[in-house]
Amino acid sequence: MVNHVTIVMIEDDEGHARLIEKNIRRAGVLNDIVGFKDGTTALAHLFGPDGSGAVNAGRALLVLLDLNLPDMTGVEILKRIKENEHLRRSPVVVLTTTDDKTEIQRCYDLGANVYVTKPVNYENFANAIRQLGLFFSVIQVPEAK
Amino acid sequence: MISKLSSAGPRLTHFGQPTLLAVGFALLIAISGTSIWLVNQARGDAAAVAHTLEVENTLSSVQLFLRRAESGQRGFLLTRDQSYLRLFSASSSSLGPGIDQLRKLVADNPAQVATVDTISEMAGKKMAEMQRTVDFGLQGQWEDALRVVASDEGENLMRSLAQTVQGMKVEESRLLTLRTASATQSANWLLYVNLFGVVAIITVAAIAVHLSQRNTRALRQAHAALSVINEDLEKRVEERTADLQEANQEIQTFAYIVSHDLRSPLVNIMGFTSELEELRTDLFHRLEALRTRAGDTDAAQDQELAKDFDEAFGFIKASIIKMDRLIKAILDLSRQGRSELQPVPVDMRGLVDGIAATVAHQLIEREARIEIGPLPAIVSDRMALEQIFTNLIDNAVKYLRTDVPGRIEVQAVETSAYVLFSVSDNGRGIDPRDRGRVFELFRRSGPQDRPGEGIGLAHVRTLVRRLGGSVLLDSQLGKGTTFKVTLPKTLAAQRKGEE
Repeated sequence: MVNHVTIVMIEDDEGHARLIEKNIRRAGVLNDIVGFKDGTTALAHLFGPDGSGAVNAGRALLVLLDLNLPDMTGVEILKRIKENEHLRRSPVVVLTTTDDKTEIQRCYDLGANVYVTKPVNYENFANAIRQLGLFFSVIQVPEAK
Repeated sequence: MISKLSSAGPRLTHFGQPTLLAVGFALLIAISGTSIWLVNQARGDAAAVAHTLEVENTLSSVQLFLRRAESGQRGFLLTRDQSYLRLFSASSSSLGPGIDQLRKLVADNPAQVATVDTISEMAGKKMAEMQRTVDFGLQGQWEDALRVVASDEGENLMRSLAQTVQGMKVEESRLLTLRTASATQSANWLLYVNLFGVVAIITVAAIAVHLSQRNTRALRQAHAALSVINEDLEKRVEERTADLQEANQEIQTFAYIVSHDLRSPLVNIMGFTSELEELRTDLFHRLEALRTRAGDTDAAQDQELAKDFDEAFGFIKASIIKMDRLIKAILDLSRQGRSELQPVPVDMRGLVDGIAATVAHQLIEREARIEIGPLPAIVSDRMALEQIFTNLIDNAVKYLRTDVPGRIEVQAVETSAYVLFSVSDNGRGIDPRDRGRVFELFRRSGPQDRPGEGIGLAHVRTLVRRLGGSVLLDSQLGKGTTFKVTLPKTLAAQRKGEE
């Protein structure tokens, strides 16, 4: 992944956010990580003051999305990203504790690119995030239009 | 609700019909009895009338015989022709039997018997008188004979005899009148009784018809009221069921959310514990480096510190792992409560055989065997059934005793709508105090020397309940345990919107 790609991490749990960041870094990913603790601020950043998403045009974004947010569900954010003409090509990685089958299906139906369940066991968790980081380092991310 | 029924509708006359029937029968019996008695009475009366006539007849005959005897005597004395004597002797010989018959006929009436005796005596005297004249005539003493006749003795006798006979006849006709009246009365009574009977039976029948109509009407009303109540009841049951399902759903959702939300902080605790561990390594490396730089060679204190660190980390990690397992168990249980059941025909024998095959290796290790009886096919959720019997058989295998050859039996008994499955073992058994507890989540019985979380039986109970059945436990400590799972033969398909 080229360096100008920004990782947008929407995760309400600060601990998780910190652990995720640490482990991504351990995988050698040095891209900027912008974190948001709730859906509202995340949406404001993604879609800009006019809500069109044009604010991010020309920038490459990768979204790390937790589904359990205090003010809205991550599914809502996923839906809006995938419906937005500027952002719809940005890869969205759903990283959440839910392993409910219907939830997973729903996310893929809505256009999620990857769905990862956070393992509770920390070894596995760290491993998963590091592998995700490795994955990030090889994928191509298109710029938003 | 139900008690309202009896007071709401018109009261049903429960006693009416049988009582009426009894009254009707009693009437019929009374009328028949009276009729029979009256007919008998009438027959008696008729016989009495005939009897009276016969008495009168016989009396006339006796009189006639005497008169004929007298005619024969008079003829002989007048004409001296002995041929008249034949009439005389024939009549006199008939007289005796005539009187005897008379006596027999009136034997029931002492007054008449006395009269008959008088008649008999008079007739005897008259006959003696006539015989005397005849005897005189036969000896040629005609004057003597005529003198006897002229003495009027015979004539007097005849007159008083006629009077007596007349008295007797009067008495008999008085009796005849009485008896005829009685016969008429009997006939009349018979008529009245029969008429009364007809009227009474018609009345009873009318009342019966009326009552039966009233009962039918009351029944119909009660029926209508009942169906209204039933509908109401069904609606209520439906409402309650919906409420319960909603409540159950809420509990499941609650359990799911709680367990789910508990996992997030756990990840942090675990994660930062690991981070701390790494930090500890870094710290001790740095400490060592600094110590070396300072020329301090006493590493023992560092090692003490490291040991304390490791102990604390060990406890934290073990607790986290345990908590994770418990949360996962709650999550699984709530997930099972939410999963959709799909009733399909399940060959239970095949299903249990399959489970037995998965534990075959353990059975060989423990020198145990499993016996599976004939099991009927049922229509139920295959996944749930598999989990139920896997848990039960796994438990049976897990808690076999080491001192005896293990034996596990799976049997089934069919009833009309249910099948009772039993999974028995000769394992270590369950303490009676723990029989309720073992079905609770995270509860285990006996020595905690086997791996497990105390989840299996809680799952079994949840699943069995979801399949509309029940699970019971029968156990003797140290002898073995039998789990009895009752399941409906056919699991009703779930209604839409239940999930």
